Amino acid sequence: MAPLSLCINTQTPLIQFLAPSEATLRESTRGGLNGLDGLREDVDYRFSPGGVTRMVYPLVRRLLETRVLEEAHWVAFNPRGPRTFRLDGLTLHSVSIGSGRMEGYGKVKEAIWGRIHEIDAAEPHDDLFWTEAFSEYAYYNRISAERIRQLDEEHDFDVFYVHDFQQMPVGHMLGTLKPKIFRWHIPFDASVIPEHWRATLTNYLNSYDVLVVSAHKYAASLTAFEPKGRILRLYPYVDPEDYTRPSPATVAAISKRFGLAPGDDVALVVGRMDPIKGQDRAIEALAMLAPEFPSLKLVLVGNGSFSGSKSGLGLSKSEAWRAHLEETVKTAGLGGRVIFTGHLIQEELDCMYERCRFTILPSVREGFGLVAVESWLHGKPTIVTQRSGIAELVEDGTNGLLFDPDDPGTLAEQMRRLLSSQSEPLRARLARNGRITSKKCFLDAAEKAERQLLAEVTEA
Amino acid sequence: MVSWSMLWGLFVPYISALVIVLVTVVLAWLVNLIIPRLVRQSSPQMGGAARRLGVTVVALIGGTLALQALGVSPGILLLVIALLGVSILVALWAPLSNYGSKYFSDIYTPFRVGDTIKVQGYSGKVLEINAMSTILLTDDEQLVSVPNMTMIRDVVVNTSPQAWKEVVIPVSLSGTIDLASFESELRKSLAKLRTRLDRRFPPVLTTKSRTPQSTELILIVMLRVPEDRDTITLEVNKRLSEVIEQVRGVKR
Repeated sequence: MAPLSLCINTQTPLIQFLAPSEATLRESTRGGLNGLDGLREDVDYRFSPGGVTRMVYPLVRRLLETRVLEEAHWVAFNPRGPRTFRLDGLTLHSVSIGSGRMEGYGKVKEAIWGRIHEIDAAEPHDDLFWTEAFSEYAYYNRISAERIRQLDEEHDFDVFYVHDFQQMPVGHMLGTLKPKIFRWHIPFDASVIPEHWRATLTNYLNSYDVLVVSAHKYAASLTAFEPKGRILRLYPYVDPEDYTRPSPATVAAISKRFGLAPGDDVALVVGRMDPIKGQDRAIEALAMLAPEFPSLKLVLVGNGSFSGSKSGLGLSKSEAWRAHLEETVKTAGLGGRVIFTGHLIQEELDCMYERCRFTILPSVREGFGLVAVESWLHGKPTIVTQRSGIAELVEDGTNGLLFDPDDPGTLAEQMRRLLSSQSEPLRARLARNGRITSKKCFLDAAEKAERQLLAEVTEA
Repeated sequence: MVSWSMLWGLFVPYISALVIVLVTVVLAWLVNLIIPRLVRQSSPQMGGAARRLGVTVVALIGGTLALQALGVSPGILLLVIALLGVSILVALWAPLSNYGSKYFSDIYTPFRVGDTIKVQGYSGKVLEINAMSTILLTDDEQLVSVPNMTMIRDVVVNTSPQAWKEVVIPVSLSGTIDLASFESELRKSLAKLRTRLDRRFPPVLTTKSRTPQSTELILIVMLRVPEDRDTITLEVNKRLSEVIEQVRGVKR
C-alpha cells in the first residue's frame, strides 16, 4: 500500500491552549507553531485528557513512523489554538466559532449525548433538529467540513477519519466521494434513539464507508439502522509505552501532597466530573464500607472535559457536578475520606495508579472505559460497571469485577472482596489476567486493525 | 497645423463610447442587484437566470450603442448578431433543447438522482442527470439514456416510496457566500415552516459540486400533506432567496 495522506477530524483537540501565551500568539500570526518548545505544560497548554485524543495520537504517530501514512492532518475545535500547529510530524488545525454560537452548539451536543446515555427523556428532544440551537450545531460542523475541504484541495487526502458523535454531519457536508470512516465512541443502543431523530442520523451515518464502534453490542444495535457503510467493531486502545512506573519516592511525594497517609487503602476513580461518570455511586459505596474499613479512602481524579473547560466550550456542568459531590461527601460525613485531585498530568496520574489498591469504573453508561486498561497496565485490579463497552472483556472474578451501577450495594460488595484481609490472591489473579486482557487494547493490536481498515477503504 | 477643435472632434467618438460603456456597467450592476429582488418568489435558479438575462440584454444594448458611437452601423451589427444566433440555433437545436430542458427539469421536475422513475415505457433508478440526458439503470441492469427534452414533454412517474413528500430544490450559490452562515440561517428560516413539514425529516442540504466561483447544492424538505406542495415550494424558494441576500455580505 502506498503511503496515505490522512485527515482526522475530532471535536476535542489534541492540545488545548490554556491562555493565549505570548509564544502562541507570536507564532500563530506567522502562520504556524512548531513543536511545544518554549511553552509550559499545564500553564500554556495541556494534552486533552479523555479517550479520543489519547488513542488517536499514538496511532497516528505510529502510522507516520511506519510509513503507512505519508502525512496526517488533524482538524479540531480549538478556540485558543493557533490556526496551524505542527507536532511529531502531524499538522494540527484549529477551527472555532463565535461565542454567540457556542451555546446552541453545546445544547445540541449535550442533548444528543444525554439521550444516547439515557440521562434525558426522548420527548423533550423530538424537535431537536428543528431548533435554532441545531442551526448553530450545523454551523460548527459546516465550518469544520469547509476547513477540511480547503485542506483537501491543498493536500488531496486519500481518506478522512471522523471521530465522535459531535462531528457526525461532517461526512455528509464534505460532499466528496473519497473514503470516509466514522468512529462512534459513545454507547450505541438503537432502542434509546428517538423516532424523530432517525432520519437525520441515518442520513449522516450513510455518508460514511465504514462505521467503527467500540463493542460487539453496539455493532449489533447499529445494524438496526441499516447503514450503507460497513460496521466494524474495534476496541479502543492505548500505547503502553506512554505509561511509566514512577519511583517509590515520587509516589510517596505525590501521595503526601494529596493528604494520603502510608497506611491508607486507596480506591481510585479516574474520570471527568460528570454525572455520567458515576462518582456518586462510588461515594455511596464508600459510605457503606467506611465504618468497616477505616483506612479506606476514595480518590477522584479529573475535572471538566474539553466541553466544560474554559479553553473549550465553557459549559459549566463539571463545576456543578463537583459541587454536588462535595455536598454528598459532607452530608454522608465522609470529610477527609474523599479526595478530589482535579486534573493530573500523566506522571501524577501514574503515581495515583501505583498508589491505589484497586480502581473503579463507576460510570452509569460508558462507551468503552480505557481507565480499566490503564489500571491493568499498572498491575491493579479493577471494578467495572456492567454498562460499559469494556464489560464485554471482563469476566467477573477472572480479570476484573463487575457491578450494576443502578445498585451501589453491588459495588460496595465488590469493593469488600478487594479490601478483606484474604483478598491478596484474588487481587493478584485479577491483576495478572487483566494484564493479559489489556493487550487486546494495545496500540500494536489496534495498529494492525486500523492499517487493514485504511487499506480496505482506499484500495476497495 | 492641427487646431484644438479638430483634435477634440477626433476624440469625441471615443469619449462618447467610453461614457456609454461606463453607463452600461452601472446599469448592468443595478440590474444584477434589482432583478433577484423582483423575482424572489421563484427559485434561486430562476432568479439567477433572470439576472444573467437582464445583464446580457443591457450589455448587448450598451455594446451596440458604443460601437455606433464609434461609427459602426448598428444595422449591420444587429444583422450579424441575429444571423449568428439563428445559425447556432439551427446547428445545435437538439443539444440546446436538451440543455434547456435540463435547466427547466432542474427547477420543476419532481425527481432526483437515486429515485426510481417511469418514462416512455422505461423504468429505472436515476443514476445521473447531465446536460443532455437523464441516465436510468433498469432492473435488468441496462443503462437507458432519456433525452432531457422527453422529461419535459412526456409523463414522468416517480415511483420511489414517499416521493410525494419530497420537495427537491437545486440551489446555486456564488463562491463568495459563506456556506456555514447560509446553512445556519436557512435552517432557522425553514424551522418556521415545520408545522407544515414532516417533523421526522428536517431539511437536508447536500453539496453537489464546488468550484471557486460557485457552490451547487440540493435542498430537500419533506411535506406533511401532499396538497401543500405548491405553497411550500413557493415559500421555500422565497426564503432561500431571502437567506441568500441576508448572507451575501457575511465574511467567510
